[in-house]
Amino acid sequence: MTEKKPKVLIVDDEESIHLVYREELEEEGYQVLSALDGPTALELVEKERPDVVVLDINMPGMDGLEVLRKIKEKYPTLPVILCSAYPEFKQDLSSWASDDYIVKSYDLGELKASLKRNLAKAGR
Amino acid sequence: MPELRRDPIVGRWVIIAKERGKRPHDFVIPKDEVKGGFCPLCPGHEYTTPPEVLAYGRPEGAPPNSPGWTLRVVPNKFPALRIEGELWKEGEGIYDKMNGIGAHEVIIETPHHHETLSQMPLERLVQVFWAYRDRMVDLSRDTRFSYVIIFKNFGRAAGASLEHSHSQLIALPIVPYLVSQELKGSKLYYEYKERCIFCDIVRQELQTGTRLIAENHEFVAFSAFAPRQPFETWIVPKRHHSDFRTIDESQFQALAEIFSLVLKRLEAAIPRCPYNFVLHTAPFKEPYLEHYHWHFELLPKLTQIAGFEWGTGFFITPTAPEDAAHFLREINLVEEGGQDDGEKA
Repeated sequence: MTEKKPKVLIVDDEESIHLVYREELEEEGYQVLSALDGPTALELVEKERPDVVVLDINMPGMDGLEVLRKIKEKYPTLPVILCSAYPEFKQDLSSWASDDYIVKSYDLGELKASLKRNLAKAGR
Repeated sequence: MPELRRDPIVGRWVIIAKERGKRPHDFVIPKDEVKGGFCPLCPGHEYTTPPEVLAYGRPEGAPPNSPGWTLRVVPNKFPALRIEGELWKEGEGIYDKMNGIGAHEVIIETPHHHETLSQMPLERLVQVFWAYRDRMVDLSRDTRFSYVIIFKNFGRAAGASLEHSHSQLIALPIVPYLVSQELKGSKLYYEYKERCIFCDIVRQELQTGTRLIAENHEFVAFSAFAPRQPFETWIVPKRHHSDFRTIDESQFQALAEIFSLVLKRLEAAIPRCPYNFVLHTAPFKEPYLEHYHWHFELLPKLTQIAGFEWGTGFFITPTAPEDAAHFLREINLVEEGGQDDGEKA
């Protein structure tokens, strides 16, 4: 019997990020879902029930902090990792609803460690 | 004719653009968009914050970090400064630097998501000031810290990122520049006149009354003589106290009364007025100063800070402080449907 792969939803408006994350995370044994904006992310959370969400903040339209508030309102135990190029968003206390905050980098070491930690914490 | 005014403590010049003469209703504050959704500061969501360092109001025997609190203080989840580690200072040629040791905490003032400080019952506002004092006392035991700055941002325009009412505290290994300017200016005055400048300001504001907003047996609230923002208000103890940590029980009540009254009047004059306030007190290493008073500075965020202000340190204010004080004094909170604590509360 094959072990069920943890489902990671990546939410980012930059397509290149999806390419990099998908390749690296699939190699690590994750099933990767992609959303390029907030509304699509919320739809995928409903439909696909991911085990963890990796969420960009600075996106046009609905920003990541709004997506975070909406996800946590309905699914408070679903781990959400904020992943932004801008460390200053840490000063926005809305980010506290997240389970982790990572400054975006092409070295995914920190993200991979956070995924493991938060999936284990949530028992997923 | 505009007027240039000099702050008597720090020597900062401001321009009072009297001909603009803005009245409270000239400041139209757009309603902040209600974001809704999950709030990490609400009861029941304690698991989203780091473990609390202080909480009031929970029934005896209730576990920490559980609901039932009336006020809660938690470390910043994503701190800009780190509490762990030794403080080291070094020079790089003429430049000074040190590692980022500090503490950043959030004071969650109320369990109610939409309750503001001006709506809060007095006994709970007293708790907010107790929390400021208790955290300051605790952090001052850490020899790496020289100062704790306590501040509040209210309204999006003033930098508040969450609707849930909170203030913040940052413990620093240095005394902030603005505070050291106040300390230097008040010391110079003391050396020259052998009197505390804050005691003199309190005396003069009470005597003239033109900038007076409210007073009670312990405190006076007045429009600053040289304000950086329209309706800038200072709340200063009448008795000479330089260190906020020495505040006593009767002062807590009087402070809450005058603070609540000032906020209610400001809210009645300029609905939804965004503001910042900051507590200035003596540094931990020299708490008993004959030339300094701890005090609150309340700055409504009603004008923009742009090139002229950044380039000169000047501020331009379109409302004279005498007019601001007059507008605030004239507000009858009973007629407005609020509770009037009385000018001489």
